[in-house]
Amino acid sequence: MKWIKRGRIFDPAQHTLPNGCVQFAQSPQALVFDDFVRIYFSTRAVDRGNGKQLSHIAFVDMRKNLRDVIRVSDKTVIPLGKLGCFDEHGIFPMNVLRHDDVVYGYTCGWNRKVSVSVDTAIGLAISRDEGLTFQRIGDGPVLAASLHEPCLIGDGFVKVIGGRFHMWYIFGTGWRRYLADGPPERTYKIGHDESRDGISWTKEEGRQLIPDRLGAEESQALPTVIEIAGRYHLFFCYRQSFDFRRNSVRGYRIGHAWSDDLANWTRDDENPGLDVTPGDWDSDMLCYPHVFACDGRVCLLYNGNEFGRGGFGLAELET
Amino acid sequence: MFRWRKLGKVFTPQEVGGRRWLKEFAQAPATLVFDDFVRVYFSGRPPADGNGQYVSYSGFVDLDRSDLFRVRRVSEQPILSLGGLGEFDEFGTYPVSIIRAGDEVRAYYGGWTRCESVPFNVAIGVAVSRDGGETFTRLGNGPVLSYSPDEPFVLSGPKIRRFNECWYLWYISGRKWKIVEGRAEPVYKIRMAASADGIRWDRANKDLIESRIEEDEAQASPDVFFANGKWHMFFCYRYSSDYRGKEKGYRIGYAASTNLTDWVRDDAKAGIDVSAEGWDAEMISYPHVFELDGKIYLAYLGDQVGRYGFGLAVLEGALE
Repeated sequence: MKWIKRGRIFDPAQHTLPNGCVQFAQSPQALVFDDFVRIYFSTRAVDRGNGKQLSHIAFVDMRKNLRDVIRVSDKTVIPLGKLGCFDEHGIFPMNVLRHDDVVYGYTCGWNRKVSVSVDTAIGLAISRDEGLTFQRIGDGPVLAASLHEPCLIGDGFVKVIGGRFHMWYIFGTGWRRYLADGPPERTYKIGHDESRDGISWTKEEGRQLIPDRLGAEESQALPTVIEIAGRYHLFFCYRQSFDFRRNSVRGYRIGHAWSDDLANWTRDDENPGLDVTPGDWDSDMLCYPHVFACDGRVCLLYNGNEFGRGGFGLAELET
Repeated sequence: MFRWRKLGKVFTPQEVGGRRWLKEFAQAPATLVFDDFVRVYFSGRPPADGNGQYVSYSGFVDLDRSDLFRVRRVSEQPILSLGGLGEFDEFGTYPVSIIRAGDEVRAYYGGWTRCESVPFNVAIGVAVSRDGGETFTRLGNGPVLSYSPDEPFVLSGPKIRRFNECWYLWYISGRKWKIVEGRAEPVYKIRMAASADGIRWDRANKDLIESRIEEDEAQASPDVFFANGKWHMFFCYRYSSDYRGKEKGYRIGYAASTNLTDWVRDDAKAGIDVSAEGWDAEMISYPHVFELDGKIYLAYLGDQVGRYGFGLAVLEGALE
């Protein structure tokens, strides 16, 4: 299997975004319609209180050629959470899927902390207007920290397989200060859980699904799963837990694993491999993959340099 | 109405000395009865840090079984350290509820973290002791009961019980953060969950106790005790603002249930109120009912939510 890069397909700087957002189109996630594809992403506004950033969900509708932009959302897709709630300071990302005539949106909600920068948890919001707006099922999360997954539950990706909801997500294993005067940095791994209703989940409680390539300090994020010819393929991004923001060789790359039973996964990052392109928009970093099928093609949306500040691009599996 | 005869304050943390974890506060008493003493777990605090912020630890005091006003020993160390960097219990382990389970003793506790937009958040942790309740080890670095769609923050005040081979946890869940004079104040309500093993919990997902004094009444310390064919819950409640003084501060309420999940509130029956003067003249809170040698006792906090310790009352008559 081989990815063919199609280049950057969305640059947020070329569009007016809702919620006063500028720059960043992170973690693209597709909802396929008959004649277009709605791609949700997280973009950023400045928090007027303290100059920090708030991630908001927006979307772009594209022709199925995934080249031509039809429109960008001009309204709030989902407001941020209430005071003190898990998603008060941002939603990034939101995974969408159709189920029972509605659209489920699994949000990764961010809330700022004092001793460490942030915690996250996974919420559920439902859209009854084909994904234009989403309403939470409650103020709190459907998946949060637990005995053996102590922090940073996020990046849920949900698929209904054989009548059961499967979620791949990440859980934090802990925070560590690598430099005496540096901020604490986090490490997270990919986990899996199942549910009958998409609301009440049974975790595997701390079982790391995908083996490390970089050792225990590998952080793995944004799992996304697709079935191709009877085999499940999981794409994700991974990096070192420290000095990963500006040091390209320690930054995010795309990983891959496959499974025939959804329980045991074999890591195989090279097949199909996706690498950086020197001099291009994704020369230093590859992150936040999202894989989906569209008119018989297997498409991979992903972010490039600076965690998606300049938007997202597309690769297609060679047929 | 129950008739509680107040026995007075039994423990004053300021009198202990020599313990870094305990300068003041002895909050949320929870008992474990031994052959010749009663161990009362409580939560205390070292001095506030440079920013005026506290952490809280839990420890215990052993009271002589034949004379509960005789302190035999205060734990040298807290029963649990604080959690690690970024963990849910990094800034406090309070309150704690204790239960025997076979050869083990389990502690369920509120773990405190600090947040940017609101001062704190709380989730419930669990730890186990294999030395009879002297020291405890966490069963995991994360909480055993955390936030859910209907219980979005401040899961605290656990009270662990076992009835009919089933584990029950009564606790509080935050409903909203209310801005009062520029300060975020949590409003919380009493909830419950049930479990076969004390680890995986099924939540009732409802407020058990109707709010009485105002919609945003905060309720805490849902202490459940079985006697005479029904379950009795003593809890405390307060107004959502100006609650640090006498008028709107904590009082002790009461509810009863015949099935554990449906509760009828009847505060007039609680039978205990603030005193005209003394250590519990402004507020009374964090009730804990226990039985000892044929008598029913109520441990509770007085002014400033236990800053100066806890006291005891004894029931005259029956819990029925």
